[in-house]
Amino acid sequence: MTNLTRTAYMAALLVVGANLAAAGATRQSRLNLGPGAVLTVVTSGGSVSLHPGTEQQVIVNSTTHSDRVEADVHATPDGKRGEVVTHVLSQQGASADDLRVDYDIAVPPGISVTLSTATAPITVQGVSGDISISSDTGQITVRQISKSHLHVRGVTAPVTLTDVIGTHVDITSTGGAVQLTQVSGPTVEVRTASGRITYNGDFAGGGHYLLSTHDAPIDVFMPAFASVDLTARSSTGAVDPPELPLEKKEHTNVLPAPGRSFTGTSHSGSASVELHSYSGRIRIKKQP
Amino acid sequence: MNCEQFQEILPHIIDDGGQDGDAEARTHADACPACGDLVRDLRHIAEQAPLLLPMHDPSPRVWSNIQQSLISEGLIRGDRTPGLASTGSANTGPASVIALPQRPRAWTPLGSIMATAAVLLLGVLLFNYRPKPAAGLKASDPASADEQLIRQVSSKDPSVGKAYEESMKQVNSYIADAEKAVKNDGNDSVANEQLMDAYQQKAMLYEMATARSQE
Repeated sequence: MTNLTRTAYMAALLVVGANLAAAGATRQSRLNLGPGAVLTVVTSGGSVSLHPGTEQQVIVNSTTHSDRVEADVHATPDGKRGEVVTHVLSQQGASADDLRVDYDIAVPPGISVTLSTATAPITVQGVSGDISISSDTGQITVRQISKSHLHVRGVTAPVTLTDVIGTHVDITSTGGAVQLTQVSGPTVEVRTASGRITYNGDFAGGGHYLLSTHDAPIDVFMPAFASVDLTARSSTGAVDPPELPLEKKEHTNVLPAPGRSFTGTSHSGSASVELHSYSGRIRIKKQP
Repeated sequence: MNCEQFQEILPHIIDDGGQDGDAEARTHADACPACGDLVRDLRHIAEQAPLLLPMHDPSPRVWSNIQQSLISEGLIRGDRTPGLASTGSANTGPASVIALPQRPRAWTPLGSIMATAAVLLLGVLLFNYRPKPAAGLKASDPASADEQLIRQVSSKDPSVGKAYEESMKQVNSYIADAEKAVKNDGNDSVANEQLMDAYQQKAMLYEMATARSQE
């Protein structure tokens, strides 16, 4: 082998090695953010997973799948704001997979997080600060949140909330289905245009619940012990008679329309529950 | 005498107060309801016109503006305005039919009529004037603005653009239905809330799409 051939061979090996290193390369970054700080995460494809950290730092593990993209992670010197942003270096000829970045972020208590993605699925679990999530099409999953504020916006992104307790919840989704399981709080409001809304829980602790849609169904599954003051009303759709024994209210602001509205209370009526649709069917069922 | 011939000598009839109009014209006015009504209307306007006119002559600029407006609207030509010619010594040039500085101090009945008619005409024109939208303002059309927004998102990611397109249709349909419900019963609080929700959904789509296209 001549020197020239050997050099070319080595260079090719180096290039291939560098590409392999870039593809699937995981980098860890640490941000020093104080209590009350805000962490902003902006990415397009890939995934974002947010969970509580054991240290006082925000730890960001970012995995890139090509050298066409990188994760910019930085914080302000005063520790009040941190940013995690996917930076596309070269989009030309890149596939969607090339531009993916997978983030695994550990967040200490008391830090608010704002997440924005296009297609990346978002999973948030056990984080204590306020959370604001925005996703075009990526699945949004939130679990085990308590006494917080959760603000979710989606275009067609499906939204699933499980075990979210004592939290102010505000969800607006145009076409994505919204599924709430054991979700309660002082205010829980869900608005969709065509996304199906499913609530499965007991409306614990009082509070005000509003589930509103244009033309999608609203299904509520609740146990017999749930204490609710319930109003269901559809402009042109059907409201099925509830499967639970609810005492009909004599005085109500909603004009009675047979098959299109229902008002009733159970127990002391601690939680105010309003179910509104324009044409979507509303069903109130007993939790199995 | 036919109507056309009658209308040619109409100014003289009105100017003279109908006293020395020829017998043929009077016969035509008596026989033709249209011309008879026209004479009566013009005489009535001529009688009322002096009451409407100010004590002082209007500024020459008023006359100039009236003339310019009539010319620009195509109602008169700049080079010939027979009716108005009687208000001045005219004929000093093609576009100076109204010879403003040499107007007589008193109004002739015909002058009064024409001036009043011109002012009224100008008023009507101004009242009915609707500016044409500029060609470059297409984005003010909601449908076109929606399309533009969807194009912006699609240029970054066609699959996401598709999601926005579908969602935009759903939101517009929601707005239309909610507006219908509010129209049916403006006091319906649920319908009003849903209309607000529908608009908020649209605002959200715009906000998210704009943010996405700026990334």
